[in-house]
Parts: sequence; structure tokens; C-alpha cells
Amino acid sequence: MVAPALVLIPVLVLLPGLVHGGGVDLLKEFLQAAFSPSLDPLVLGSTVSGLGITVGIALLGWAASGLMGLALALASSRQIWSSCCGQTWPANLLRRLLAVPRSIHELLWGLLLLQLIGLQPAVAIAAIAIPYAALVARVLSDQIDALPSGALAALRCAGVAAPQALVTALGPPLLPGLLSYGGYRLECALRSATLLGVFGLGGLGTELKLCLQSLEFHELWTGLWLLLAVMLLLETGLAGLRRRWLMPRRLGLGGLTFTPLGPESGTGTRGKGQTALPDDLGRRGRELVLALVVLGPLLVWLARAMGVQPLALLHWQPLPNLGGSSWASVLALPWPQLVGSTLLLTLVAAGLAVGLAPLLLLVIAPWPWARPLLQLTWALARLWPPPLSALLLLLLLKPGLVTAALALGFHNLGILGRLLLEASDDYQAPAEIALQGAGVGPRLALFYGRFSGLARSYLAYGAYRSDVMLRESVVVGLVGAAGLGTQLLESLSSFAWDQLLGLLVVYALLTLVGEDLSDRARLRLLSPA
Amino acid sequence: MAWPGLGNSSPVPDGLQATLTLPFTPLMAIRARWAAVLAGLSLVLLPSALPWGNPGGPSLLPPARAEQPQGQEQSNKVLRIGAIPDQKPEKLNRLYPLVAAELERQLGVPVTYVPVVDYTAAVTAFRTGDLDLVWFGGLTGVQARLQKPGAQVLAQRDIDVAFHSIFIANTGSGLKQIRDVKGLTELKGKRFTFGSESSTSGRLMPQYFLAKGGVKLADFAGGAPGFSGSHDTTIALVQSGAYDAGVVNEQVWRTSLRDGRANRAKVAAIWRTPGYPDYHWIGQPNLDQRFGKGFSRKLQGAIISWRTTNPQQKQILTLFGAQQFSKATAASYKQIEQVGRQIGKIR
Repeated sequence: MVAPALVLIPVLVLLPGLVHGGGVDLLKEFLQAAFSPSLDPLVLGSTVSGLGITVGIALLGWAASGLMGLALALASSRQIWSSCCGQTWPANLLRRLLAVPRSIHELLWGLLLLQLIGLQPAVAIAAIAIPYAALVARVLSDQIDALPSGALAALRCAGVAAPQALVTALGPPLLPGLLSYGGYRLECALRSATLLGVFGLGGLGTELKLCLQSLEFHELWTGLWLLLAVMLLLETGLAGLRRRWLMPRRLGLGGLTFTPLGPESGTGTRGKGQTALPDDLGRRGRELVLALVVLGPLLVWLARAMGVQPLALLHWQPLPNLGGSSWASVLALPWPQLVGSTLLLTLVAAGLAVGLAPLLLLVIAPWPWARPLLQLTWALARLWPPPLSALLLLLLLKPGLVTAALALGFHNLGILGRLLLEASDDYQAPAEIALQGAGVGPRLALFYGRFSGLARSYLAYGAYRSDVMLRESVVVGLVGAAGLGTQLLESLSSFAWDQLLGLLVVYALLTLVGEDLSDRARLRLLSPA
Repeated sequence: MAWPGLGNSSPVPDGLQATLTLPFTPLMAIRARWAAVLAGLSLVLLPSALPWGNPGGPSLLPPARAEQPQGQEQSNKVLRIGAIPDQKPEKLNRLYPLVAAELERQLGVPVTYVPVVDYTAAVTAFRTGDLDLVWFGGLTGVQARLQKPGAQVLAQRDIDVAFHSIFIANTGSGLKQIRDVKGLTELKGKRFTFGSESSTSGRLMPQYFLAKGGVKLADFAGGAPGFSGSHDTTIALVQSGAYDAGVVNEQVWRTSLRDGRANRAKVAAIWRTPGYPDYHWIGQPNLDQRFGKGFSRKLQGAIISWRTTNPQQKQILTLFGAQQFSKATAASYKQIEQVGRQIGKIR
């Protein structure tokens, strides 16, 4: 489980050569500014309104992706096709097609739509909604198909019509997973909306980038602290709801399994609510309806306040034909080098993120006071869009692949670390207690007692995350020498549509291959030993 | 991808048995609740679906904005100005609202400033018609005109006729003053950064002079130069030592030296390029149709009438680093277009 951290060795070897002392003053200035963020009403005002736009984009993009994703999931579920029409090929076809929007990072969607549609608030929302909808569709349709078909078969045999039977048999067991995953996607949407802002699609990200570029650290921290507050609020709020509605945790390590009645009939890890009390069910239903009733008008209000015009998305501005487009110029790009450094970047970043999270937990195991500190660092890491970390690292390190990988790895470390911590806290580890009782030190006890039980699902999640990192490698193009991402920004600024198309195709292919590999790795890790 | 732990957690067989042996009534009850949830869901989605499909239509909420058709009409009557973000946003946010206010006073039409975050976005926003009047650099201006035939070059500053770039170096890099273009070979093997990819003074012309001096982009350390994004960032990065050297717009360099952002002990100018035409104002082709006959001429006249004797206009001119603006023509930027094509930034 800690093995991926081996990548640390070459990185640590290279690091001293990369450090240049010049930026120490700037870094000190940056860290000091954390304690004295600017409280100028003007700055606060623009930060709050930027934050409002970012949250608005996240919420609207998330809601749109949820609706589209749900519809697409139903349309690409084999089980549904087979019970409605007796055939599964349309589901398979749709699944294949959905791989394409999914393989392109939301930033690329944003930049493309920006070219086609112009500076519209709807662009950022669509940029999030399109790839997310395809992701949600894939995950949900997998879940639908993984549900036991017994209940459905029983209902169908009893003469119930297909639609009713599907809702009855599949709805309730699907709901907890749906809600849990939906909550997770909302957290992702907030991060994506911030990132899109960094590339000029509006909101707080824009302000953060401009502040960093002009080294206005006090203003920068105003934005960062506010964003952190919103993110932590969202995360704890969602975790609270998840607990209240007894939904499975995201890593699903606790033994909550899918049974036709949802987790209530599973062997829950939290002592209460293992039996489905009608009262509980009713309460959850009422609260869900209430939440949706509040959410609907809120979204409409947000869309209006932001001046979102969904119809603007249909109003395409044709790309100007600038002539001179030739496939020779596309082929002339140094493809092997671009692809090679992109893959290397992904591998190093993935190794750092996956390996460091458990390693850091092990290191701090004996000191309880270090834990909140680590949690705060991880929260900041999650919150920071990788291009901003890259810019900041440049103040200390020389540009290049390692710097880019550190930026990307740091961001994902924040995400993985939190998941690991959550799962680890949930996991009942009698072995650890036994080991501790036997006088083994806290680190070893944690390692052998707790982590060994978690390793498979953690690594499985790490495999999925690496595939996300491959897609994300485009966003650290700023640091130079970072492969396809750098070239993409260059081609975009030359308005070289042909090169852009070539780069997109290669990116999509790489992501699809990566996705396939990480799927295989995960299945192997998750299959019973 | 799939959601590990959800998609792949295999359902336990005894769960299956649980359903089969369940009495019928609880299932019915659950079904009724599920139906209630669905009904609630559809009720909620109904109003939210309405305004999306029909933006002008009735809504349960008081409209926060004017209805769309009217809104579009109004935005047609507003002159939206923009600029490439070549400097600190704080400075841009000080300068352009002043410009907007002054133009509004002179022309009698509402003027708003729309900030954009990078050079490419400014060009795109001009092409898609989201910006009416933009302060472009040499290269971005040519890109914008090629993408929007009929766009009009309106004015440039006195300093834009012969603008200069300054090559700067970290004092610890060992780089010395350079005499002429041949001296640029000293930069081979050094870590070097440009500004924005589309900057004329921070990338295009410097790259042209580097090529003249026999330096290819692949000659820099790491096989490629960096792109810091803006002139201010280039100065900060070279000063920090992240890059040994970089190149910036002369006007920004002077300002940084004056306000102390650039520390002479850490970063120094090593070469000043020959002059070339740079920044200029470009207007949309359809300004006369939208704002009335002769509007473009009036706009041009307003900009070139700014004088340091007027306190408002003096403030604007000072922030622009200019004495005054003068008429400009597309022909002045032929050289920029040629270099752009040579380097591949214009195709």
C-alpha cells in the first residue's frame, strides 16, 4: 500500500537539484500573508461575489449533470433494456459512445465551448455538466446492472408491467448509492468550478490566479480562506447527510453492501439502524423530498441571478477558417515526446499521491496533535487548483516535469488522504487493538492492524484516481515541459484548430486506455483473494 | 471508471434471499414511498424546467433580471470595452473603469469594462462579439482582425510606434549585458521564460530576435522556454531565480523598477530590443450600425483627443504610460503579421 511512495526516492534525489534559493523570501511573504488576509471591503466584496459565481457554477453544473446522468444511466443500463425490450445492444452502444465525453477533461470542454459560444456563464456550467453526466451515467448504470435481478424477476413473473417493476425493484436499493455518489460529485463540481475559473471561465478561480500572478498574497489568502470554509462546510454537511440517511461511505470498506433493501438490511458498521425501521425510512423520504423542494427553486434563482441563458449554448459561432490547416503540421508535433512526458508526469504524480497518504498517516500515528494539522494541509491541497500550486512551486523549484508532478500529486494527495482517513476511522480493526495490546508500537499496529485490511480498496481507488490524474495532467501545462498540456495551450493561443483536434484525439485515446488499465487493476484488487 | 466500493461491491447472496422471503406488504409500503418521492421530484423539477425551456415565460419566482429579449436589446446599446490582461489586475481594474467613464461622458452611450483572464480569451471574446472595443497587443490585434474581417484599427499610443522589449536576467545567473542580437546566444542552456504565449513584447518579437541571434527554443534548459502568463510574473520568477532569464515589455519593466517590485540587486536588464509596433485599440466592424452612423469615427476622435491638460484624461494617459494617442492603421502591423506567420502564431 505504501509501495507507490517508492517514487519519492527519485523525486527526493532530484529535488535538491531543483531548488533555487531565490524564492525563499517570496515564500515567506506568502506564508506570512496566510495570517493576515486582506480585509479591505473592496477585496472582500469581489471575493465573495467571485465565490458566489463559483458555487453557482458548481451547483448548476452538478444539478444538470445529475439529471442528464440519471437519464443516460437508465438508457445505458443492460438490465433495463433487457426487461423492457429484451435486447441489450443499445445499452452497450450508448456506453461506448459515452466514453468519449468522459475522456475529455472539463477544462478542455470549457476551452472548446468558449471558442464556440463565447463568454457566456452557461459555458462553465456546460463544461462541468457534459463530462460529469457521462461519468454519472457510467457509474449508475454499472450499479443498476450489478443489483441482483431476483426482485425484478419476481415482480415480472407476478405480472407487473416493466416500468413499475423496474422502479419498485431497482429504485430503493439504488437510492443510497445514488445519493452518496451525488454528494461526492458535488464536492468534485466545486473543485472543477474553481479550476475553470483559473482558466478564465469566471468566479473565484480567476481572482485567485490573478492575485497569484501579481503576487498579491494578502488578497490571495482572503479568497483561499473563504473557499476553504465553503469546501469544509460542504464536506461536513454532506458527510452529515450521508450518516443521517445511512448511505454507504465512498470507499465502501465497512461492509455495507448492496441488498435489495439498501444498506439497512446490510451489516452496517455504525451500530444503529441495522434493521429497517419504517419510521426511519419515512423520515428519510420526507427529508429527501424537502431537500429537493428547496434545491429546485434555489437552482432556478441561481441561474437567473447569474444571467445564465441555456439557449445561448445553442447559438454557435462557427470557428473562423484561418486557412493553412494541414495535417502535416499536426504530424510534425513531437508526439512520442509529448505522450511520453505526459505519461511520466501522471505516473510520478500518482505514485506521490497514492503512496504519501498512508505514509504520512503512519508517520504521525504516535502524535495525536499532528492529525488536525495534516487534515488542514490536505484540505488546502484539495482546495488548491493544481495550476496554482504549480505557479507557487515555481517560486521555489525550477520548472519541469517533477515540479508539475508535485503540483498534481499534492492536489490528489488531499483527496486521497481524506478518503483514506474516513475509511480508516470507519474500519473496525480488532487486529490493531490486539497488536497494540501485545505491545506493538502505534505505527506498526496501524500498518499491520488497520491498513492491511484497507489496502485493497484503497489501492483500487488509487487506480481510479491515477486515471483521473492522467486527464488532469492538462491543467499543469503552465509549468512547462509538461507534455500534451503545454502543447495544447500553445496550439490554442495560435488558434490552430487542426493541432487542437489532433491533441484532443490523442488525449481521449490515452485516457480511454488508461481507464481500461485502471479498471482491470481495480477489478483484480477488489476480487476476493 | 467506476465507483469502487459501489459498482463493484458484489451483493451478498443472503440479501437476495431476504427479498425473496420478504412478505409482500413492506415492499408495497416502500413502493408507495418511492412513488411519493418520485412525485415530489417531478413536482420540483416542473417549475425549474419551465424557465430553462422558456426564458421569457412565467416563473414562480420574481425575475431577477430583465427578460431575455429585452436584455439582449439593451446589451446591444452598451459599448463593452476590454483589454488583454498584460499587467497586474489591480492596475487594469483601476485603469479601464476610468476609460469607460471617460468614453461614456464623451460619447453619450453606456460603456462597461469586461475583464478577461488571458490573451486568447480576449481574442475569442472579440470574435464572438462579446467585446466591442479592445486594447490589443500587436499579435493579438492581428489575430483578432483575421478572425473578424472588417474590424477597425482605431488608435495607438505614441510609444507603440516603436515599442521595445527588455531581456532581463537573475543577477546570480552569470549572464552579462548583451551588446547586440548575436549576444543572445549567451542564453543557450539557460532557464528562460516568456510572458504570455500570445504576447507581442513578451514572446513574439523576442522569439524573432532570438532566432536572428541563432537561438532556437529547444536550446533553452529543459528543451523549452516557460510561459509565465504576464509581464509582472516574468519579473517575479526571474527575480526569484526560478528562471535565469526572461523577457518583458519595457513599459512594465520601468514601472516595476520605479515602484520597487523589481529588486535591482536580484534582477537586471541585459538587452533592449530594436523597436517594433505594438499595442492598439480595435473596434468591432458593426459599431456604426449599432450606435449610429459615424460612431467609429467619433470613438476614434474621442480616444485621440485625450490630453494631459485634462485631469481625468491625464490619469488615464499616465496609467497607459503615454503622452497621447494617435490614429493607427492596419498597415502598421504588417511586420507583426509576418513575424507571427513565421513563428506559427498566425496561420
